[in-house]
Amino acid sequence: MDLAFTPEEQAFREDIRAWVKGNLPADIAHKVHSALRLSRDDMQRWARILGKKGWLGWGWPKQFGGPGWTAVQKHLFEEECALAGAPRVVPFGPVMVAPVIMAFGNKEQQERFLPGIASGEVWWSQGYSEPGSGSDLASVKCRAERHGDKYIVNGQKTWTTLGQYGEWIFCLVRTSTEGKPQTGISFLLIDMRSPGVSVRPIKLLDGECEVNEVWFDNVEVPADNLIGEENKGWTYAKHLLSHERTNIADVNRAKRELERLKRIAKAEGVWEDVRFRDQIALLEVDVVALEMLVLRVLSAEKSGKNSLDIAGLLKIRGSEIQQRYAELMMLAAGPFSLPFIEEAMEAGWQGDFPGGVTANAPLASTYFNLRKTTIYGGSNEVQRNIVAQTVLG
Amino acid sequence: MDFDFSDDQEQLRDAVRKWVDKGYDFERRRSIVAAGGFDRSAYAELAELGLAGLYVNEADGGMGMGPTEGMVVMEELGRGIVLEPLAQSLIAGGVLSGYAPDAIRTDWLPRLVSGEALVVLAHQERQARYRLDVCSATATQTGSAWIVSGHKSLVAAGDQADAFLVPAMVGDQMALFLVTRTASGLRTSGYRTQDGSRAAEVGFDDCPASLITTDGLATLEHAVDIGIAATCAEAVGVMDRTLAITVEYMNTRKQFGVAIATFQALRHRVADMKMQLELARSMSYYASLKLNAPADERRRALARAKVQLGQSMRFVGQQAVQLHGGIGVTDEYIVSHYFKKLTQLEMTFGDTLHHLGEVSSRMQDTAGVFA
Repeated sequence: MDLAFTPEEQAFREDIRAWVKGNLPADIAHKVHSALRLSRDDMQRWARILGKKGWLGWGWPKQFGGPGWTAVQKHLFEEECALAGAPRVVPFGPVMVAPVIMAFGNKEQQERFLPGIASGEVWWSQGYSEPGSGSDLASVKCRAERHGDKYIVNGQKTWTTLGQYGEWIFCLVRTSTEGKPQTGISFLLIDMRSPGVSVRPIKLLDGECEVNEVWFDNVEVPADNLIGEENKGWTYAKHLLSHERTNIADVNRAKRELERLKRIAKAEGVWEDVRFRDQIALLEVDVVALEMLVLRVLSAEKSGKNSLDIAGLLKIRGSEIQQRYAELMMLAAGPFSLPFIEEAMEAGWQGDFPGGVTANAPLASTYFNLRKTTIYGGSNEVQRNIVAQTVLG
Repeated sequence: MDFDFSDDQEQLRDAVRKWVDKGYDFERRRSIVAAGGFDRSAYAELAELGLAGLYVNEADGGMGMGPTEGMVVMEELGRGIVLEPLAQSLIAGGVLSGYAPDAIRTDWLPRLVSGEALVVLAHQERQARYRLDVCSATATQTGSAWIVSGHKSLVAAGDQADAFLVPAMVGDQMALFLVTRTASGLRTSGYRTQDGSRAAEVGFDDCPASLITTDGLATLEHAVDIGIAATCAEAVGVMDRTLAITVEYMNTRKQFGVAIATFQALRHRVADMKMQLELARSMSYYASLKLNAPADERRRALARAKVQLGQSMRFVGQQAVQLHGGIGVTDEYIVSHYFKKLTQLEMTFGDTLHHLGEVSSRMQDTAGVFA
């Protein structure tokens, strides 16, 4: 039992910290620290900087050009990036589809797709949810019919995050209606610039278009783009879901945002209000407890001695904490979080924000936006079903 | 960063678990409760396992072990809701080993280790609630001799203990003393507490006392932090078992023709209990791993831990009773005893709101496991 990281791990952290400090563009870090809106260019600029260093696929093994880091090193990298104000890497390429291509794709697919993901040049999207398939993902209907060396895809995907920028999309498509719903699903990579693909952004409650509907109308997809075997896509998707275990808790971002919450509370004069301050203290305890939970998972992965299958708990707790800090930030500013002035959420706005503190402009929008966290990635109720299954059988 | 237990620690856990399972079943516990809540022979059995001297240096005859071993032991005792207050022996071992002059060490440590003597902390006063810096007991010195006067409440096994660690004011400075139960002017009045264990009011009327340290407040804070870490670990054991009992019941009990474990409303409650248990376990690790940190860091960490543990204990205890239905509120069935233990542990060494206040007043700009 030891809480401290090893000297080697500490040295690794220092190296990462120095590199991030020297390479993260200040304008991007400013936006992240102030929760201002990030453009496509902001996200891709950082992705390319990481890609050039070989760290966009920071979880990748060496054989595919990744750094081959341990679970602890990955965690330290994520923490240093988050605390420095780096934007979250858009995960669909490097974190989600790449491990599936590595595990189940053929050599040709690996050579074709992985370099563009590793460099940050190609923007990937995720085509999982459909209007009729949310928590019940196995019920997907988007149809792919095999015609010679092509699939013809017809159907609709939705909640496609940042799909308006997408160049490629990995989809769960129905290739068979025989047997159980899970057994007729295939994992298909689709070029979003193909004829018949159309994307419509969905405006969300915070005023931003973060997600999209994607339609497929007789889209021709080369059969070479099928990952693994037909009708085995569900297995691959599950592999993907199990791949990231601790990242889902987002505890590093929570630590950064807790610091920001304290700054806001001081600026708004509620730091000295015991009733308010105690709520921050409670959140601080929640964040430390979540971090300990994450460290326990990392330790178990490191030693391999005991498995700690608590991904569901990490998702539930991590998402609840994200919602809570956003809520407290909004409540700290109180009525001065209410003016909805979208330009004030862009960097460099010079106008007069009511109350005089422009930093309050995004607080309510962030609160509204983060209501998604307990819904996406398997709603927290679905997660509770999974946790209960492990406890009760 | 490593949360695996060593082979020695696993062996220690096995030994304590075996004793709890074979030597301290629910019937024995029930008879101890009926007889007043403390059993000297059960305590002697713990001492035979070496547990009373866990924190006593090997040079003084003890096991010379650290907070992780203490945590392992307390988790297992929690699992069996053991009544005898081993946490007090961890405190006494740590305090006497760490702060007492040689005369007290040579006099008391061997007997503490062997189990012959039970030494407990007597710090609770009526006006203090959970504050450690509020103390009205006084001590005065005549020549080289000290006498202590005052009244302490809720002293664990107070009418069974052989000596007390007593904070008392010397002028405006708190000092810590050792007072034997046979000291002239000492009165005890014992009673059971809600969890079935034993406590006492202890009155000191010009009692002869031995000075442990004039740095009383810092030592008391350390003593209580040892107690908090032990309480956190004990609570994890209690909750772990409480959840297991509840799961077993839900898979057995049928209503509407099916096991109640099939109902989603109840399943989600169990998932929430599991969440609280794992957060609590994480923070119990944190408490033990921070127990030897510098005082400021240690105090902040232990307060954070107790806030999490307090919340978890209340939730797990209340929900376990609820999920059992009517049988959960009977004395006959075991789960109510676990619930009462959890309730009492929340109020031991500072409750959730008290420690939330500590966390709140100690907050810094950054926060995390390492800050």
